[in-house]
Amino acid sequence: MNTDVFVDAKGLSCPMPIVKAKKAIDALQPGQIMELEATDKGSVNDFQSWVKQTKHEMIKMEEDNGVYRFFVKKGQ
Amino acid sequence: MAVKTITAKELHSRINGGNPVFILDVRNPDEYNDWKIEGKELKSINIPYFDFLDEDEKNYKHLPKDTEIAVVCAKGGAALMVAEILDEKGYDVSYLEEGMLEWSRFYHPVTIHVGEDMKLIQVNRLAKGCLSYMVISKGNAMIVDPNRHINEYLELAERENAKIMHIMDTHLHADHISGGQELAEQTGATYYISSSEMQGSDIPYEPLESHKEIKFGDVQVKVLAIPTPGHTPGSVSFLVNDKFLLSGDTIFVGGLGRPDLGGKAREWAQSLYDTVFQTIAGLSDDTMVLPTHYADIKEINEGGFVGATLGEIRQSNEIMRTEDREEFTEKVAGTAGAATPPNYEEIVEINRGTVEVTADKATELEIGPNRCAVHHS
Repeated sequence: MNTDVFVDAKGLSCPMPIVKAKKAIDALQPGQIMELEATDKGSVNDFQSWVKQTKHEMIKMEEDNGVYRFFVKKGQ
Repeated sequence: MAVKTITAKELHSRINGGNPVFILDVRNPDEYNDWKIEGKELKSINIPYFDFLDEDEKNYKHLPKDTEIAVVCAKGGAALMVAEILDEKGYDVSYLEEGMLEWSRFYHPVTIHVGEDMKLIQVNRLAKGCLSYMVISKGNAMIVDPNRHINEYLELAERENAKIMHIMDTHLHADHISGGQELAEQTGATYYISSSEMQGSDIPYEPLESHKEIKFGDVQVKVLAIPTPGHTPGSVSFLVNDKFLLSGDTIFVGGLGRPDLGGKAREWAQSLYDTVFQTIAGLSDDTMVLPTHYADIKEINEGGFVGATLGEIRQSNEIMRTEDREEFTEKVAGTAGAATPPNYEEIVEINRGTVEVTADKATELEIGPNRCAVHHS
């Protein structure tokens, strides 16, 4: 998948993964995609909930050996 | 200005003591709706922490300027962030340092009875609606249904100057991890549970069915083990000095225990019927029922504890008067569709001693409310 920005939030605990995600996505254009990696298990629920409250869209979510990877497309 | 921290204990005494505090819970809405800090007079609101990352006036319109706001999240980090934002805007704000994690291990002891014969204390783990008991007589203590954070009981016994002699579980719990075995190891006390609950277990225990009476103290404190199957086949209740019925998960202030967690809802509902209309039937209306759980904060009575007389319970719960066996079974087994306690299958195995977990894993498994107390109104 082509992504426009990659954010490394591994090793960070709540609220930092979302804080970093928000900062990164604010700098994107609508339609562009952010990829973020986190190791905080709580971030799975938080990302789903955050995306639901915003105009962004969760394109894909995957887990690989304790690393959670989120692909979020910036909304209009 | 640095934001203040508030402990679970302080928060609870503020909620209880008429010194109001307003709770801002910044977890996700689904988490808040599932499980939150409650109090009879408590005002709380849910705004997820990420909403505060935007400068938006709507976040603030429901927040009071004249009352201290306690910010709460899962583990403390997000609450601190929001508390700092509010602090800069001039709100009087504090945050629960370790969040719901801390709330979940907060225990509040309430003395129910002090007499020449004995003292009876109810220990309320508010976050889970789990109750345990300490009965003290002449410097010796018995503990019923202790939860996992055993220091709470060790410290309480020390304050009461009592030696823990007997520890029992009314049944194999599905909603919380028992502290019974560990507490017995640390104190040298005897750990009792029904053997039918412990099949396949390596945990050392004294089978409850071999003891019709457990006596301790110079004064005659009589503890009768009454088989009260239904919630589980080996459930017991303890009748203390003919007056206090520690009823485990069979009879609650608001209803009866669910019989479905073993996958045999109808069969166990039949046992529950016999418990209600045979075993318990002979007990007088003024017997004080002290259960192991409650489902609603409203069950905490004016005395600050969870309990009601058998007469009151018989009067307020139709199910206690449903003498038709068929109808009773239908109604009780019908609760089987209700949400089950989170992770109950794993918790049962841990309590049986067939699975071992780390403290972190135990915390994770226990998170959330108990769901053993189902209302039958």
